[in-house]
Amino acid sequence: MKNLIVLIKKEYVQMLRDFKVIWLPIVFIFLGATQPILTHYLPAILKALGGSQGITIDPSMTAQKGGEVLASTLGSQFDQLGLMVLAISMMGVIQTDKANGMLAFILTRPVAVPSYIGGKMVSHYLIAAFSVTIGYFTSYLYVNYLFTAVPFSQMITGLIFYLIWTLFIVSFTTMTSAIFQSQGIIALISIVFLIGCRVIVGLNPIVDQLNPASMSKHAMEKLMTGLVDSNAVGNLLLTFVWILLTLFITNYWISNKKFSHE
Amino acid sequence: MKLEIINVTKSFKEKIVVNNFSLELKSGECVGLIGPNGAGKSTLIKMISDIIDPNAGEVLLNGKKISKMKREIGYLPQYPNFFYWMTARETLMFMGQLSGVKKEVLTNSITEILTKVGLKAEENSKVGTFSGGMKQRLGIAQALLHKPSLIVMDEPVSALDPIGRREVLSLIEEIKKDTTILLSTHILSDAEEICERFVIMKDGTKIEDTKITDLLNRNSENKLIVEITAKDRKWVDTIKKLPYVEDIEVVGLKVKVKVESIEENKALLLQNALEHKVDIVKFEINNDNLEEIFLKLVVQK
Repeated sequence: MKNLIVLIKKEYVQMLRDFKVIWLPIVFIFLGATQPILTHYLPAILKALGGSQGITIDPSMTAQKGGEVLASTLGSQFDQLGLMVLAISMMGVIQTDKANGMLAFILTRPVAVPSYIGGKMVSHYLIAAFSVTIGYFTSYLYVNYLFTAVPFSQMITGLIFYLIWTLFIVSFTTMTSAIFQSQGIIALISIVFLIGCRVIVGLNPIVDQLNPASMSKHAMEKLMTGLVDSNAVGNLLLTFVWILLTLFITNYWISNKKFSHE
Repeated sequence: MKLEIINVTKSFKEKIVVNNFSLELKSGECVGLIGPNGAGKSTLIKMISDIIDPNAGEVLLNGKKISKMKREIGYLPQYPNFFYWMTARETLMFMGQLSGVKKEVLTNSITEILTKVGLKAEENSKVGTFSGGMKQRLGIAQALLHKPSLIVMDEPVSALDPIGRREVLSLIEEIKKDTTILLSTHILSDAEEICERFVIMKDGTKIEDTKITDLLNRNSENKLIVEITAKDRKWVDTIKKLPYVEDIEVVGLKVKVKVESIEENKALLLQNALEHKVDIVKFEINNDNLEEIFLKLVVQK
């Protein structure tokens, strides 16, 4: 337990010195602001630039509800560029420690492997969750200002669903970072797999039930309709099972010293 | 403190790197693990410090598995790497706390240990700016910090320049008084300087485990070398007649005297020389030096 705190503290000092605590939230603030602003001003922008020849603007575009715009912030910004930024910012989370020998070095100390993984997960999840939340709030403020107001309770429920999906993103990237040796491969596998999960949402109800990316869909549905799908609870539990599985694999991989290839 | 390495074997894919290796270390010993490159020294050291698991056999410290006794081990890797963004003091604080030492205790002991390794002036500099020698000294500091009963060092001086090497060697000489040390090296003169006991490894097996004096005695040929001045040449004829002298070989001013037993006869020969007022330039036991013995052992066997 004491080691866990020491390791979390170390991660934060590192993030502070790498300025990750600053740039990651800023990226998400921009992503959060982009969707409502673009949606609101796109007709005006097109009109000004395109000379209006041959372009018809769907009047429903400008008449979107606030909840819909906030939902598309999640679906079009966070689940695409945001997800890539998260995966890339965390691809080295364990890989750099492996590559420079610090992981082996830390483990020559009386440090339990779960403490090490816990330190990584807690610190990186908190910064990811903080960034997502602050970006989401930015979007919420713009939406309320430019579109119709979104009820606070809907906004919070949507956020909670989305943060669980974020937890899966973090734990999955941590797992690939523990297993693979090259940062490029780690980023590629994480991004392809996670975006793949997100893309197949809605194709098949059974797959949706198993898919952790459905959490993002539940968040969007809550924002758009105000209702939560009845499958959400089962999906939530299964998502936690997936998260535990990724943590278990990470732990197995490091405990069995599969990381040293010498 | 007692370290037991029992029938340890490790192979990577098909290649056996450490083969059925056994070794026992007692408290207060300083053991040098020597062998050519690729002999399996680093692999063995990594198994002792629980970085890799052996395929067979076990490593015990005080009768318990090494993975349960990490608090008692200080490990210095071959190329110590630290977080470049930490300062020397932060690094030691981090490593110390991971070993379960309290923060308040560390505050004092870090100052003490940084002074000992000569990094006191650099305590607030980032590790990323350190030279190889400084990193090595910081590595030694972190290995000592939690006062382990066993310190394991993988090639502590091989990568350093002569000055850095001198510094680190004298540092090890100093810490030797308080702890048990196991170090690997392929530079024999270093091992000769700091260790009393040697384990020579080749192709993953132990080919020799001995005290340095035994090793040297075993390989000497009962010859004494007396270097004299030109005016004393006739003394050579005198000693030819001595009963314990078996053979004499003169090379320039060096007289190689083969005797029955070095222990018994060396004093007699010296006495004889003094009685004849011989001007002695040098009087020594003819030994192969460690390097020659090492080459003999490693190349022949």
